[in-house]
Order: sequence, then C-alpha cells, then structure tokens
Amino acid sequence: MNGSMDPDTEYSATVWKHFHTPSNAGEFLAGTAGVLNGEAGARQHGRAVAFQLQVTADGQVADCRYRVYGCPVTIALCSLTSEALKGQPLTAAAAYSVVSLAEQLGLPAEKHAAAITVEDAIRSAAGRYNSHVQPLAAATEFTYRA
Amino acid sequence: MNQKTIYLDYAATTPVDPRVAEKMSGCLTCEGMFANPASAHGPGRAARGAVEQARNQVAALVGAEPGEIIFTSGATESDNLAIKGVAHFYKHKGRHLVTSRIEHKAVLDTCKQLERDGFEVTWLKPDADGLIQPPMVEQVLRPDTVLVSIMHVNNEIGTINDIAAIGRITRKHGVFFHVDAAQSAGKLPIDLKTLFVDLMSFSGHKLYGPKGIGALYVRRQPRVQLDPLIHGGGHEHGLRSGTLATHQIVGMGEAFSLARQELTKEAPHLRALREKLWQALHTAVPQAMLNGHPTERVCGILNVAFPGIEGESLLFACGALAVSSGSACTSADRQPSFVLRALGRDDQLAGSSIRFSVGRFTTSAEVEAAARIVSEEYRRLLDLAPVG
Repeated sequence: MNGSMDPDTEYSATVWKHFHTPSNAGEFLAGTAGVLNGEAGARQHGRAVAFQLQVTADGQVADCRYRVYGCPVTIALCSLTSEALKGQPLTAAAAYSVVSLAEQLGLPAEKHAAAITVEDAIRSAAGRYNSHVQPLAAATEFTYRA
Repeated sequence: MNQKTIYLDYAATTPVDPRVAEKMSGCLTCEGMFANPASAHGPGRAARGAVEQARNQVAALVGAEPGEIIFTSGATESDNLAIKGVAHFYKHKGRHLVTSRIEHKAVLDTCKQLERDGFEVTWLKPDADGLIQPPMVEQVLRPDTVLVSIMHVNNEIGTINDIAAIGRITRKHGVFFHVDAAQSAGKLPIDLKTLFVDLMSFSGHKLYGPKGIGALYVRRQPRVQLDPLIHGGGHEHGLRSGTLATHQIVGMGEAFSLARQELTKEAPHLRALREKLWQALHTAVPQAMLNGHPTERVCGILNVAFPGIEGESLLFACGALAVSSGSACTSADRQPSFVLRALGRDDQLAGSSIRFSVGRFTTSAEVEAAARIVSEEYRRLLDLAPVG
C-alpha cells in the first residue's frame, strides 16, 4: 500500500500521486439527490475538509466528492478515502478508519491528525443520513461540478 | 518530477562558481598550496601568501583594511564571535544589548544564550515593511548598552536596513555596532571606511564561494576588542585559533573578488529577474502579496504570500522548484516563519509564503517557468479548497 518513497519528498509515491492528481475532487451540483454533507477542521487550525457522500436508496455509497484545505497528506487521504468508500454500505463508510489507512501508508504519527479530520468529515456526513434526505434512486444519473 | 529542478534558493546557498572551484583545487594536493600557512618553510609561506591575498580580496569588497578581516567557519561563527566577544570583553562597562526580532537565528540564539548568562537584551520589533528604523534603536539605548546587532539585509524578505544611519546613532552614544552582512555582501555596495560599523559578518557560500568559511570584520580605529570563542594556537590575532583552511579561504577570496568585479552588472540583472518573477506571479495570481518593503529590498530576494491555500501543499506541489518557505535554517520544523509573524502576517499567510531567490546562474526562462508552475499549482489548490 505504501509503495516506494518518492525521492523528492518525504512521502510515499502513493501519497504523492494522490496529492498531485486527486480522485473525485470537487463537489456535487446543488440539489443533487442523495447527497450527505459533512465538515471537519478549520483553516485557522491548518486543515479543513468538506466531504460529500452520495447514497442510494438501499444505503450504498454511490459516489463521493470533497473539498480540502490542508497539507499534502490531508489531500491525499481525501482522495484515497473517496476511492475506498465507493460501493460501500453507508454503515461501513461511517466506520471507515482513515487512521488505519494512514498507518498502512507509513505516515508518521504526527500526520494522523490529518486522518482524523478526514474521518470526522465522513462521519459528520454519514450522521446526517435520515428520512429527510432524498435517496438517490438506483438508476438516477447525476451531475457534479469538478 | 522528472524535469530538471529550477533552483531559486540562492539566499540559502549558492553553487560554487567554477572559477572559484579552480582556485580552491590548487590548494589541496602535493602540487598545490597544501602546506600549513603558519609554517615557516617555503610551502608554508606560499600558503600564507595565498591566505593573505584572499584577506585582501575580502577586505577590498567592503572597504576594510586586510588586517581587520578575521576568517571563521561561516557567518554563524562570525555572529557568535562578534556578539559574545563584545559582551564578555566589555561586561564591566555594561550588560545590555539591542537586536531585532527578525535577525538570523545565529544572532537570535546567541543573544538568547547571553540572556541566560545574565545579560539583558532588547528585542526590537520591525515596522510593517520589515525595517528597523534608526529612531527605534536610539530610543532603547541605555548607559549600560554595549552592543547593537542589526542585520543589513533580512535573509527571508530581503529588506535593507539603513545601517549608515543606525551606525551614526551608535557611534554618537559610544555603543558598538555589529551587522550581519551575509545576505548583502556582493549584492549591495559596502564601504566600511564611511560606515560607523564596528563588526560585520560575512559568509563564503552565499556568494558563490565554498561552505564552511566566513569572515568577521573587526574595526581597528576605533579599536574593538573581543573575547575569543576558540582558544588554541593564537591564529587570526588570537581571535580565532585553528589551522587556517587555505582552500576555503582562497575560495572565499576569489568569490569576493569576482563579486567586486561583477557587482555593478550583476545586481541590475538580478533585480530585473526578481521583478520579472514578481510581475508574472502577480499577474497570474492577483491575490499574491509581497512580504517586506516594496523598494528597500536587495536585488535577489522575493518573498510572496499566497492567500487561501496551505503552505506545505504549495511547496510540495511546486516540487520542480527549489525554493524556501522562510529561512532554510528553520524550514525543517515547518513552523510559520518568525520573521513573517513579526511583520504581522497571521499563521496562515506566513505559512503560505514562499521565498524565491535568484542568482548568478538563473535564467529568464527559469523565472518564466517558475511563475507558471506556481500560479498553476496555486489555482489547483485553491480550487480544491472549501469555500470560506
């Protein structure tokens, strides 16, 4: 998982790749069905994450988007997590350990705060799942703003 | 990642000029001037001649007498020798020193050590442009003040202090004046015959010379006396014992000689490159903010704050560039620059500031490419960030 270290950075090649070309970055268009929004962190504390989970009628995470302010690790963790959550039940997404992901990537303990922020944003989004959210119908097409 | 790194960190260190390296290589092997310059035999006298020629070259760049130049291991040691040397030698006259909050760590930490040793230090806060105004110095002088230490050019933001005016004040009050000139020697004209500066620190590696060599100017008229830091064979008038490193000294001498020859054409060239970089960055990123005084700045340094993004990400995104976020000596701990914080920048802006420093081997094409890379990566990171 952690791959080789990039000679030009202190991070693994995986972290570097996801920092430089993050997957699923951006946000869904306003009004898109089935979208749960979660936030964590604050700019003045060095990192802020806004994570969106798009949930199907049967409680599956169909897609993810996020916006992130933070260090390269925070950005890379958002990207990797967004890939990992797709197709997962919402309950699994809510329990997903970004800290474990960080450990697998070989990130130092001082970077685990970044993982906790991403985790908190996802749990914040998952926690907003209730009857008020209109779920995404199984075959619904959606659009998003990259 | 695969493209060649664009080096824009000349304020951290410079490559050795090939002409300097050639001179240095002549002091190392059997065929060269390898002998101990303190030896009385022929090879020793030859090495001593080379050292004294280098002393002349260093002195000539800054309008000093050769006998006023003491070779050290670098500007950090020069700062230590000047500040601790004066403080300890003149402690019977007073135990108060004055410096600023945005000096190089070599000065800051030396003064902090003196505080622990029982001296008192007044830490001047710069104005919003990063300058220490001469009246600020005069206001804090006391009867027991023995030394003022103010840098000529700030290593992070490049602002130039008016050391001529500060020197007039210190001389009037009978206080010694030390200047760290690591960033200004060879970039700005310095004439110690006309300045009321008593001690001045120089570095070899900031001016296309080798690392591990520096010098301290110690005025003879009026005389400044110092307690040495290093005791041994009594080298350098007893102020800095240790066998002289002929190759390093010759390298520094040649580097200073080249700087003297090229100062008048190199400084405008660097200023043009710096302005080109700033204009390109500011055009592409109108939010970018200049750190430091808009005009009172050395030719090669540009420090820019990029609002709205996180600093480490910008630095890593611009991996094709060798630049600094603050002083290279402090960037390892990734704390927001104490210099930018002292200027009133908040943690976020201080953390997202980049110091670009151009030098002798920087090309116009490199500056254009750097501006393009930074602006593209800035926009990418800004687009990634949440609103607000």
